[in-house]
Amino acid sequence: MAALDALGPKGPYRSRHRLTVSDVTGAPMAGLSLVPRLFVTRALAALRAAGTLPLEERLAALKRAGELFATGTVAGMSAEAYEGAVCRMSGTPLANVRIAVEAIRLSATEAYRSVQAARPVGAVGDWRDPYARGGTAVWIRRGDVFAVHAAGNHPAVHALWLEALALGYRVAVRPSRREPLTPYRLVSAVREAGFGTDQVVLLPTDHDAAGEILHGADLSMVYGGQEVIDRYAADPTVLPNGPGRSKILITADREWRDHLDVVVDSIARHGGTACVNATAVLVEGDPAPVAEALAERLAALPSLPPQDEKAVLPVHPLEVARGFERLLLGKAAGARAWLGGDGVVADLGDGSAALRPAVFQLDDPRDARLGVELSFPCVWVAPWTREAGVAALRDSLVVTALTGDEALLDGLLAEPSIKNLYIGDHPTHWIAPGIPHDAYLGEFLMRTKAVIRG
Amino acid sequence: MPTASLSVLDIPFDERPDPDEYIRAAMEWHFGPDTGSPFWLRKAETLDFDPRRDVKGVADLALFPNVTGELRDVPVRDLIPQGYGADARIVGVFESGGTTGAPKRIVCLRDWLDRLTHGLSADLDGLGVPRGVDWVAIAPSGPHMVGEMVAGAAARHGGLMFRVDMDPRWVKKLISAGKAEETDAYVNHLVEQAAYVLRTQDIGVLMTTPPLLERLARHDDLIELIGEKVKGIMWGGAHMDADTRDLLRTEVFPGCELYGTYGNTMILGGATERLGLGPDEPCVFDPRTPFVTFSVVDPASGRPVPYGERGQVVMNHVSKSALLPNNLERDLAIRVPPPEGAVGDSVADVGPVAMFDDEVVIEGVY
Repeated sequence: MAALDALGPKGPYRSRHRLTVSDVTGAPMAGLSLVPRLFVTRALAALRAAGTLPLEERLAALKRAGELFATGTVAGMSAEAYEGAVCRMSGTPLANVRIAVEAIRLSATEAYRSVQAARPVGAVGDWRDPYARGGTAVWIRRGDVFAVHAAGNHPAVHALWLEALALGYRVAVRPSRREPLTPYRLVSAVREAGFGTDQVVLLPTDHDAAGEILHGADLSMVYGGQEVIDRYAADPTVLPNGPGRSKILITADREWRDHLDVVVDSIARHGGTACVNATAVLVEGDPAPVAEALAERLAALPSLPPQDEKAVLPVHPLEVARGFERLLLGKAAGARAWLGGDGVVADLGDGSAALRPAVFQLDDPRDARLGVELSFPCVWVAPWTREAGVAALRDSLVVTALTGDEALLDGLLAEPSIKNLYIGDHPTHWIAPGIPHDAYLGEFLMRTKAVIRG
Repeated sequence: MPTASLSVLDIPFDERPDPDEYIRAAMEWHFGPDTGSPFWLRKAETLDFDPRRDVKGVADLALFPNVTGELRDVPVRDLIPQGYGADARIVGVFESGGTTGAPKRIVCLRDWLDRLTHGLSADLDGLGVPRGVDWVAIAPSGPHMVGEMVAGAAARHGGLMFRVDMDPRWVKKLISAGKAEETDAYVNHLVEQAAYVLRTQDIGVLMTTPPLLERLARHDDLIELIGEKVKGIMWGGAHMDADTRDLLRTEVFPGCELYGTYGNTMILGGATERLGLGPDEPCVFDPRTPFVTFSVVDPASGRPVPYGERGQVVMNHVSKSALLPNNLERDLAIRVPPPEGAVGDSVADVGPVAMFDDEVVIEGVY
């Protein structure tokens, strides 16, 4: 069994307190070193005491790190071995792992362009900029140390914190217990590419020490469910990332059959595990034919082990999968089942199970279950009415609006709790470098300072 | 009753009594009509055995019911053995931390505190912690015995002791109410108080809890001050894992000897860290037997768990000062064979069950 060390400011750290990380069949894969709270305190102090690499150096190092992560041998592990290991560990289909690897490579390579998109048009990056002679704003960091409580639902979540490194933050990553391999590899690659051990650290901890990471950092980003969002809602130093509850709206002036591909893709891409996957589809008119068509298309997805090239569904240990199923069926009580009404667990016979898609129809666009987001292709289909309006689409990371109603689009754009609006035939998971995901991370990490010089 | 048999209760600090002879003498003392406390004499009438006849050794202490719950409301004067007479030298009335409900009270007499602090001081000699240096304790004082115990140890070791008072019940209340910010502010206040002492006084020994040590370690200036001045760090009151202990020893306070105690009001003191253990060995605590004895049991059956297994700690305190037998504690620990010449069990890795945050967060994609 491999040792997954913590990556501290003095190099790898193997603790006595270790956690066995298993693959989805229950076979042990790695002994993850969990660091005590005191180690966290010390590591964050070291990050704080360290300097920041000059811009050119860190961008060049990031670019190297991205290539190394995607194609090289890092900490003794080839890219191919990593992809296989992480898909068995997390149950993420191999094809999705490859998408994530590419997203991380792209984020590292494009870091500068990507973060500059967030800079206010009135601000420059340096007081030496000629604009500062007449007075300008300079874009500066709000702090020096950035911490991430990472999620394990998708390896691509680790693409984002590379932007903080690009901006000159020192970064501490607390990996998820379910999938610590991606951040281990990425932090290792960043270090091998030229960042010092006092620039980026990997701090696996148990719950007790997790809070210390947030305490020791200037700014933090945490991933979690609604309770995490609520806990940090009032803390200006913490950026919470919660459920996406992304939605698709199809109004009566659009023929839904023309958009079926994009709706299915929105639900099922990434195995349905991402916050940008569609959780709900709202249809002006009768939703039943839409639900029926979605069920038919989604039912065709194969149940395969994650390492299979054709796998598309997330895989979990059987008991965990059954837990999801119980939760789904409990929530779905009384709803019209088009797919998954008898359950969603496909036992793969080796201790693991794929989670199959589910399609349920609700009668009321105000039904709270439209926001029940589960980490597999699971969608709630409901009727939408003019009376329900924009309110039915609130609290969404993405809304894909299939409509020609410009007043409605104005309303959706103006609604603050809808974070992203995709108009027309674009899946909810569409993203590109330089495009905000939940606003630009740079908006959280940076601020402007007025500067004038003679 | 032959007084010779009772004299073993006053055995010199450096000598070890025969454990069973000692227990029999203690039964004579605590259940003798002229020497026993009103509390135990009353209690004896309800027992289905005769302590003076049936309790022949340490193992028989298991016959007793756990009476510590009664210490919440019994008049404390009833706890003083009458054998001390009118000139009983009482150090104080002390209370438990109130973790499991209303506080329990005990009375501590001078002869016991002297025995206890003698042992602590002797251990510190063994570690090479110098005598005659001054101490600071960031620890519960007031109604809690630990403050008095440490003050006694400091005095016996030739030091003056500076005190930073910690109210453990208030901290627990803040934590259980989820008031993280207030807890933080209170702990910062304690650190600040300690910093005043560390900056202005020549402190050679620091006594506090593991969480406070970790909080001190957030401040580079205090780490430096402690590194310059402090020769010994005595800790207790909470769990310390082997990784943290190693970091403290090798990185944070490399010039200091660390000395752990596992204390409890219901045994009027504590067990102390076995000296000379390596960095990968868990901290082992040896009670000072036969005055304090432990057994580690399966909470369901009450039977001892095998060595190396985790179980619940049962504690006994038997001294001239007090009798508190067969007290099932909430703590869990690994059962370890006692050192040579000792009786009962030693304990390692004391603390709550190892817990991880369960990441099978079902709802939501993370």
